[in-house]
Amino acid sequence: MFTQNPQTVGMPEGTYVFDLRTCNRRLAFNRFFWNMIRPEARQAFWDDEEAAMRAAGLDEEEMALVRARDWLGIVQAGVNFFVLEKWARVVRKTNLEVYAIMRGESFEEFMQTRAVPHAR
Amino acid sequence: MARIIGGIGTSHVPTIGVAYDKGRQEDPVWAPLFEGYKPVAKWLAEKQPDVLLFFYNDHATTLFFDLYPTFALGVGERFPIADEGAGLRGLPDIRGDVDFQAHIGEALVNEEFDLAFFQNKPIDHGIASPLPLLWPHEPDWPGTVVPIAINVLQYPLPTARRCYRLGQAVRRAVESYPEDLKVVVVGTGGLSHQIHGERTGFNNTEWDLDFLETLRDDPERLTQLTHADYVRLGGAESVEQIMWLAMRGALGASLEEMHRNYYLMTTTAMTVVTYEERETAAAAQQREQEAA
Repeated sequence: MFTQNPQTVGMPEGTYVFDLRTCNRRLAFNRFFWNMIRPEARQAFWDDEEAAMRAAGLDEEEMALVRARDWLGIVQAGVNFFVLEKWARVVRKTNLEVYAIMRGESFEEFMQTRAVPHAR
Repeated sequence: MARIIGGIGTSHVPTIGVAYDKGRQEDPVWAPLFEGYKPVAKWLAEKQPDVLLFFYNDHATTLFFDLYPTFALGVGERFPIADEGAGLRGLPDIRGDVDFQAHIGEALVNEEFDLAFFQNKPIDHGIASPLPLLWPHEPDWPGTVVPIAINVLQYPLPTARRCYRLGQAVRRAVESYPEDLKVVVVGTGGLSHQIHGERTGFNNTEWDLDFLETLRDDPERLTQLTHADYVRLGGAESVEQIMWLAMRGALGASLEEMHRNYYLMTTTAMTVVTYEERETAAAAQQREQEAA
């Protein structure tokens, strides 16, 4: 019988729990991003994104999210942010830039909400 | 006998490592962070621990989700610092003491903490972000590291209470080692931050400061919180603070907070705190007075 894990009851909105079921559903997608810790995987992505995605076994929905650079959509689909940030380095995005996108704000708008807005 | 001479809680924000490598220590934006670590580095230089025992988390770098352990202890004389997508950092490999690591592992398993073990693996910013701010590395690190990785990424996570008890068991493990090693326990991560989803950018300084007070004086209270409580109060990734509880569990009941630095620059409340056990602090003061 399905039992809700009490650890995750009452999670606030805008938060996506990465659990065993999510991981099971999106293991290949997570592995695609995790692979970016290896220089040869980064090079393969730079050389031919489409081929790299096919080789990783991504489905059509996942490939569309990557093509669209849909950071929030990728998280919502079930990718853990800590593998996603490895790919951010590959496509030359800083974490702060990714944070702004996930909030639906421009980079400048986002930084104005920070304690040290000119920090980089 | 090996013994614990103090504890450190520290954030492990990866951009600390980037700023360090780019030499931004004097940059006005970053100076409040780097200045805040100087007293910690000085304290370590004076105390000269042989070992830093880290409770940290891997960020799906060393370990991937096809086999993701709840607790994992690293064994090895050397651990390279990981490439996390941006290349290598030019720091020497982290040093290890295999006999001591193996002893800690054996003692913990015999206390029914059934850890996984990794060997010959790189270690990511969970340790490598703060390490060069704590210890010098030229020509090499002055001591060895025991890495104990805790799963804070894939639910179910170990409970706050389990982490606290792991710390208590680590203390017994350290104190059952015959060699006279001086050990500082370090918990990394936090404090408040959320870096995924629409709630990205959440912080809560009031809670952060409350957490630090409670951690020092009444840590059992923090073991009663659920992960969702930590997420609600401090943001999704602040659940890393259960690793501070593991560090706290390895320390005695009464603590002196020797130093604290709290700097919320952009998205993570970057924090470092050092603790000594109160008896130790009093004894140190007495020694200083006698010497004067």
